[in-house]
Amino acid sequence: MSKWQNQLRNWVSQYFDLPADVMLDLPRITTIGSIHAYIENCTGLLHFSDHEIRISHRRGELSIKGKDLRIKMMLKEELLLEGKLLSIDFIDESKGGGD
Amino acid sequence: MSKNLPVFQGRITIKVKGGSIESFMQACVSEGCVLSQIKHLDDSTVLMTIRVQDWPTFKKYRKRHRCRIQFVSTEGLPFFYNAQKKKKALWLAIVCSCLAVFLLANTLWSIKVEGLEPELEAAVKSQLDSYGIKPGSLSISMKQPREVQRLLLEDIPDLLWVGVKKQGTSYQLYGVKQTNYDEPEAPRPSNIVASKKGMITKMFISKGRPLVEVNDVVKKGKMLATGELKEDSGKYVEAVGEVLAETWYRVEIDQPEQIEQTLTDGNSSTVYSIAIGKVSIPVWGFWRKNDEEDREERYEQTFELFGWELPVRIGHNTTYENEFSAQQPSKEQSVKEALKNGRNSLLVNLNEDAEILDEKILHQGVDRGKVKLILLFKVEENIAETKYVSQGD
Repeated sequence: MSKWQNQLRNWVSQYFDLPADVMLDLPRITTIGSIHAYIENCTGLLHFSDHEIRISHRRGELSIKGKDLRIKMMLKEELLLEGKLLSIDFIDESKGGGD
Repeated sequence: MSKNLPVFQGRITIKVKGGSIESFMQACVSEGCVLSQIKHLDDSTVLMTIRVQDWPTFKKYRKRHRCRIQFVSTEGLPFFYNAQKKKKALWLAIVCSCLAVFLLANTLWSIKVEGLEPELEAAVKSQLDSYGIKPGSLSISMKQPREVQRLLLEDIPDLLWVGVKKQGTSYQLYGVKQTNYDEPEAPRPSNIVASKKGMITKMFISKGRPLVEVNDVVKKGKMLATGELKEDSGKYVEAVGEVLAETWYRVEIDQPEQIEQTLTDGNSSTVYSIAIGKVSIPVWGFWRKNDEEDREERYEQTFELFGWELPVRIGHNTTYENEFSAQQPSKEQSVKEALKNGRNSLLVNLNEDAEILDEKILHQGVDRGKVKLILLFKVEENIAETKYVSQGD
C-alpha cells in the first residue's frame, strides 16, 4: 500500500467516523481481562507455543506473551486465545523489527 | 465467534507433529477449515480438534508441510452413530425390552368381580371373555370401561348395576344383582299323591283337603290330598302339604370276610426331575429303585411368570413302600360293618329328611368268603308329591 493511499484512508475514516480497523486493515484485538484475546484481521500464524504467539497482519506482526496459552478457535482471519495474557507487543513492519 | 461447532458435526482430535506446524495450520485455515482447542504440547507437537469435513484438506497439506498426524479421539453424532451401528445386538435388546415392557404393561392380568354370586360372576366373566376381556389379552384393543359396563348391563339381564373400573393391569367389577319382585305365580291346581308305598304316620296339609288318614297304608300313586276344596265343585287350589309315612326297604349287601389293606410303612424315597413339555429328566435320587409294589405319588411344581406358566416344571416322584396286611375281623364285626354300609347306601338314595327308624337282618349267610346279608329298613320319609291337574280344557 502506498503512503498517500494510507493517508487517504486515515482521513476518510476520521472524516466519516468509520471504524479504523475496517478502513485501515488493522488487526482488532479484543481482550477480556487477561484471560481471553480475540484477534481479528490477522493474516497468519507465525509462531505458537504455550508462552508466546506471534501473528502476522497486513501492517506487521503481533506478539502476545502469556502463560498456558491455548487457541480456542482458529478461523481464516480470526483467532480466539485463552490463557493468562501478560503482554501484547506490536512489531511494526516499517521499522523492520521483529525477531 | 461467528461459527460454532454444532454437536451433530463429527469432530476429530488429532496430534500434529512436525517442524512447521504454524504454516500447516495457516494453510488449512486459509482453505476454510476451522481449528479449535489448539494446545501446545511441546515445540513440535500440537493437539487440536478439527471438523470431519476438513479432514481431506488436512490430508492434502500434511505432506507438503512435513507434518505427521496422529488421531487421539473422535466425538460427535456421526461417530457415535457409526459406533452404534456395530452394536446391533445391544440396540435390538433395548428395543425388545422396551417392547416387552410396553406389552406387559398393556396386558390385562386379572379380573376381579365383587358382590356377585358365583353363577352370576361366572356369567359376567364369560361375557367379558366374549368381549375379548380376559387375563392375558392386550388392553390396547379393549373397549372402554364405560362401553363394557353398558354391554354387560344389556347382555346380562340379572344385573341391576355393574361398576367397571380399569386399574392398571386389572379389571375391577362390582356388580349388584337384580332382585326380582315378581308377582307370585297364579296358584296352579294340584293334588298331592303318594310317591311311594307306605304307612302314613304324620300328615300336615296346609292347603287342600286330605283324603287319607294317619295309619292308612297307601300305594304308590294314591291321592293323599286334593286341591278341590269342595267335592265336585271343579274349583281347585294348589294343594300344599307334608305327608310323612313309614316305608320299607329291602337291602342286600355283600361284605368280604377278609379285609385286605395296603399300608404305607413310612419309608419313602423321592426322585426329583425337571420336566420340559412332555420330557422328564431325572435330576436327583433316581438311583434309589424299588421293585416292590409301591405306591407312587407324583407332584409337579409349575412356575408362573406374570400369569404365564413356564414350560419348565420340577417333578417330585415320591415312592412309598407298602405293607400288605389282611385282617380277618370277627363275625359280629363284619355284620356290624355290613349294616353300616347298608344304612349309608340307603340314605344316599333317599331324601334328606328321611330317617331310619328300624333295621332288621332278614337273612345272613357266608358265600365264597363273603358275608351276605339281606336287611330290612324301616324309614320315615315324606312321600307327598305334587301332581298338577289339567283343568277345564
